[in-house]
Amino acid sequence: AQAAFQDTARSRKRRDWVKLIYNSSAAPEEILGKGQTEEDPSQGPSMDDDDFFTIASKAPANVEETLDQTKEPVNPDDLKEWEDEEVLDSIRNLFITGSSSQ
Amino acid sequence: MAQTPAVLHFSGHHYLRHRLVLSILSGKPVRIDKIRSDDQNPGLRDYEVSLLRLLERVTNGTVIEISVTGTAILLKPGIIAGGSVTHECPLSRSVGYFLEPVIMLAPFAKKPLSLTLKGITTDEHDLSVDIIRTVTLPHLQLFGVSDGLELRIKKRGSAPLGGGEVQFLCPIVKQVKTLDFVDPGRIKRIRGISSPGYALSLLAESTTGAMHSAEAISKPGVPPEEIALLAARSLLAEIRRGGAVDRHHQSLVLLMMVLGSEDVGRCRLGEPTARTIQFLRDMKQAFGTAFKIAPADPSDPESTDLIFSCYGVGYINANRTLS
Repeated sequence: AQAAFQDTARSRKRRDWVKLIYNSSAAPEEILGKGQTEEDPSQGPSMDDDDFFTIASKAPANVEETLDQTKEPVNPDDLKEWEDEEVLDSIRNLFITGSSSQ
Repeated sequence: MAQTPAVLHFSGHHYLRHRLVLSILSGKPVRIDKIRSDDQNPGLRDYEVSLLRLLERVTNGTVIEISVTGTAILLKPGIIAGGSVTHECPLSRSVGYFLEPVIMLAPFAKKPLSLTLKGITTDEHDLSVDIIRTVTLPHLQLFGVSDGLELRIKKRGSAPLGGGEVQFLCPIVKQVKTLDFVDPGRIKRIRGISSPGYALSLLAESTTGAMHSAEAISKPGVPPEEIALLAARSLLAEIRRGGAVDRHHQSLVLLMMVLGSEDVGRCRLGEPTARTIQFLRDMKQAFGTAFKIAPADPSDPESTDLIFSCYGVGYINANRTLS
C-alpha cells in the first residue's frame, strides 16, 4: 500500500495499471493516491508511547459513510485553478477551435 | 480463460449495485456479508432494500435472502424478464441510483423494459435524469442498443419531497457490438440543460462523438451564477481528464466490452476512477475477463490516457423471446 502511494507521488505516467488493478490488494482509493489519509503516522507501534492500551479500531462514530454513488463530490476550491488563464490555455488543443499548431 | 467461482462473494456495503448486476448477468449467486456490521445502525438501508425489490421485479425467479440483522444477503439470480414495471423509489436516493444498474441489465431482458420510476430526479449523489438521458443512453448506443431507447422525464422532483416521474424504455438485443473507440477527437460543441431549482447539466461533444459531462446542483441561497461557474469548471476538469468516454460511464462501457462478441474490443479512457478499479476486479471474478491496459500515447509524456482492451465473452441474450 505504501509503495503504491509513493509510486503515485513519483509519477502517474508510467504505471502498470494491470498489475495495480489485478495483482494487488490495495484499495482503489489507495491506488489513486487519495483518501485513507486519516492514518496518523504517530499512531504507529511507537515505543515512547506511554499508553498501554490502544484503541483497536477507530469507532466509525459520526463519520459520514461512503455512499455507493457514481458522482464524485466536487470541491469548489479544487476548481479555483481554472481562474488562471494559463490553465485554461493548457487544454485549448482539446477543442476544435484551438489551434493544433503546437 | 481464468477460473471463476460458482458463487460470488463480497463483503461490505460498498459497490452493492454493480455486484448485484454482475450476479444477475453472469447467472451466479452472490453472497454479500458484513453489510455495515460495525455501524451503529447495522445492515441494509431502505434504498438498498428497495433496489433489491426492484431487481426482483425486473427479473423472474430471483430469490433474495436477507439475514435477520440485515447485514448479509444472498441473491440467486433468475432471468431478466423486462416488461412493464412501476417502482416507487424511497426519498433517500434519487431515481438515478435505481436506473444506473437497471440500464446495465435491460438490454438482455426477455422483453423490452418499460420502467416507471417515481421519486427524486436530481441530486448530488447519483446521475441525474438529464445526464442519463443525454449522456448515459448515447454510451449504450455505442454497443448497438438504440432503437426505442429512451428516457422520458414526465415530472421533476427534488428532495425532500420527490414527486418526480420518469419512464425508461429499453429495447432488447441478442448481443452487444464490439467497441473500437480510440480516437477522442476534439471538442466541437457544448450543450447544457438548466432546470431552475434543480441543476445545470453540461455536456461536451467531440468530433468523434466522445462525451464529457458535469453537473452542478442548485442549492438554496446560492446564486445561479455560482452554480454555472461550478458546472463550467467541473466540465473543464472532466475534459482535461481525457479519454473517449465520459468518466461516470467507464463502468458501463467496460461491462459492455466484456459482454461483447468474441473479438477484441478497444476503448480509450482517462485514468480509471476508484469505482472503475473495483468494478474491473469484480468483473474478473464474475466473468474471468481481465483487460489489457496500455498508455494511449507512449510518446507523449503529458498524456495519462489509456487504451483498455479485452476479448469479449460473447454474451448471448438467452432470455430474449424469438419473434
